Amino acid sequence: MTLLKIEGLVVGYDAFPVLHGIDFEVQEGEVCVLLGLNGAGKTTTVSTIAGLLRPRSGRVLFDGKDLGRKSPSARVSAGISLCPEGRRVFPRLTVRQNLRLGAWTRRRDSKTVKRQLDLAYDYFPRLAEREEQLAGTLSGGEQQMLAVGRALMSRPRLLLIDEASLGLSPTVAKTVWEVTSRIKADGTTVLMVEQNAGALPFADRALIMEKGTLVYTGVGDELRQVNLREAYLGA
Amino acid sequence: MTIDELGIVLVTGVLQGSVYALVALGIVLVYRASGVFNFAQAEFGTTGLFAAFVAVEIWGWSYGWGVLFGLLAAVAMGLLTERLVIHPLRDASKVTLLVGTAGVALTAVGIQFWQNNEVPIRQMPKIVEGVAATPFGAAVTYQQLITFGVLCAVAVALAVFFRSPSGLAIQAAQQESTAAELVGISVRRVSMMTWGIAALLGGLAGVLAGPNTTFTAGFLTFGAGRALLPGLMAAVLAGMRSMPGAVIGGLVVGVVEQLGTLSALEQVHGAKALVLFVFLLAVLLLRPQGLFVRRAAT
Ligand SMILES: Nc1ncnc2c1ncn2[C@@H]1O[C@H](COP(=O)(O)OP(=O)(O)OP(=O)(O)O)[C@@H](O)[C@H]1O
Ligand SMILES: [Mg+2]
Repeated sequence: MTLLKIEGLVVGYDAFPVLHGIDFEVQEGEVCVLLGLNGAGKTTTVSTIAGLLRPRSGRVLFDGKDLGRKSPSARVSAGISLCPEGRRVFPRLTVRQNLRLGAWTRRRDSKTVKRQLDLAYDYFPRLAEREEQLAGTLSGGEQQMLAVGRALMSRPRLLLIDEASLGLSPTVAKTVWEVTSRIKADGTTVLMVEQNAGALPFADRALIMEKGTLVYTGVGDELRQVNLREAYLGA
Repeated sequence: MTIDELGIVLVTGVLQGSVYALVALGIVLVYRASGVFNFAQAEFGTTGLFAAFVAVEIWGWSYGWGVLFGLLAAVAMGLLTERLVIHPLRDASKVTLLVGTAGVALTAVGIQFWQNNEVPIRQMPKIVEGVAATPFGAAVTYQQLITFGVLCAVAVALAVFFRSPSGLAIQAAQQESTAAELVGISVRRVSMMTWGIAALLGGLAGVLAGPNTTFTAGFLTFGAGRALLPGLMAAVLAGMRSMPGAVIGGLVVGVVEQLGTLSALEQVHGAKALVLFVFLLAVLLLRPQGLFVRRAAT
């Protein structure tokens, strides 16, 4: 079933467009990776899906419904959560306070909050050990785990992750990617943005973006046969 | 210099400092939310005082309802400032924002002058008349005691509030506004709420300090009850961020200022202001980050 459908999306800053009309779909229950070099428009794409940017034209359909001009907050309630580029944890709040705020839209449902909190600690045991530490004092990898955990607290149907691997060692990046398989198994669809083709083995579907347009879409075994790295990412 | 003299300095300073602390709390709150020193913080107080005065003395309302009306007027002014100045200028430079808040203060002072053309000097009655005690020979009025009590209550209430879910959401929005938006916190509503609370604190300073003397337009900014500059000093001592720091800072500024009244400084003109500036300068040189700044400022 199609969970997310992007139709003719044109988005820009000020005068000139950055996305020149892109179309793609994400199926429920898969991990999809959106690859591209610096400045390709990946962050612009996920920010638009999360409601931080308004498209000039085109539509974002979630579960068949046009999201229109819905606010980021309304999109969280609808089931879309973005773990933003650069982590953006709340630095002077503790790990636990950061996580609880992730469930802001569900704050009156203490059972769900408790369950999601346990789940986040289960995915990232490191966070449980550092519950009372101020988020700003965590290592980069721990902050990334916290950012993903916080985004999961609202119990989204679609989790968007923008460049989780940024500035992390290969091992730590892999830890985060591996968790996406578990997140998927627990019922959340994942769309992750990456520059690093190392994320491909964890994906069911891959999209490659160049200068604001999609140049490749592929699924399943194809991702492992074609040499995507050489073809598109120049590495 | 006698023990009694120091005792008077301490008592008078703490009582006067309570008003500074209320103003400082508002300054810190707004600074954390909008990143700007709010020039209009003290005018929230004078506006509230004028509104309370009009309700009690001219319309003949009871004291309680009059004060409530004054506080509501202050809050309304705070919300309007956010709506008409801060929000439209949110992408402008901090200097522009600062000028914007100065504009609000001057507008408020202007309206007060215009509305009080005939009787420029007013006297708001006290909540309870009379002197409550005379420690070391310093006359402490009920009004001053009540002011100190309100400050303590406000400090506790704010500490509790900022640990509640809504308080944490405000802190989150101040620390990382995009991320706050992404978890579903309305950053706009947080901004309104912060300005509303800051204006309420200013209003409290106004209706509590007003009855101590007569008052005129601009009372809390540069009039007889001037508390803007001492409040800013207290906020700077608190590193512009710490709320417990703003409370202690206000009291410290009050006491330091009173040191200028010691008989040893009798020959020095403007000793109160001088002592205060020397103190602030010394603190900024030794500890530029402020005096009472903990890592997890709340
Ligand atoms: N706020 C902005 N104002 C103006 N232009 C912007 C803004 N944000 C992004 N851009 C431009 O839009 C283009 C796409 O940026 P985007 O952040 O979406 O790329 P990206 O694929 O996420 O890159 P990276 O991998 O470096 O994060 C870039 O050319 C960038 O300069
Ligand atoms: Mg990006």
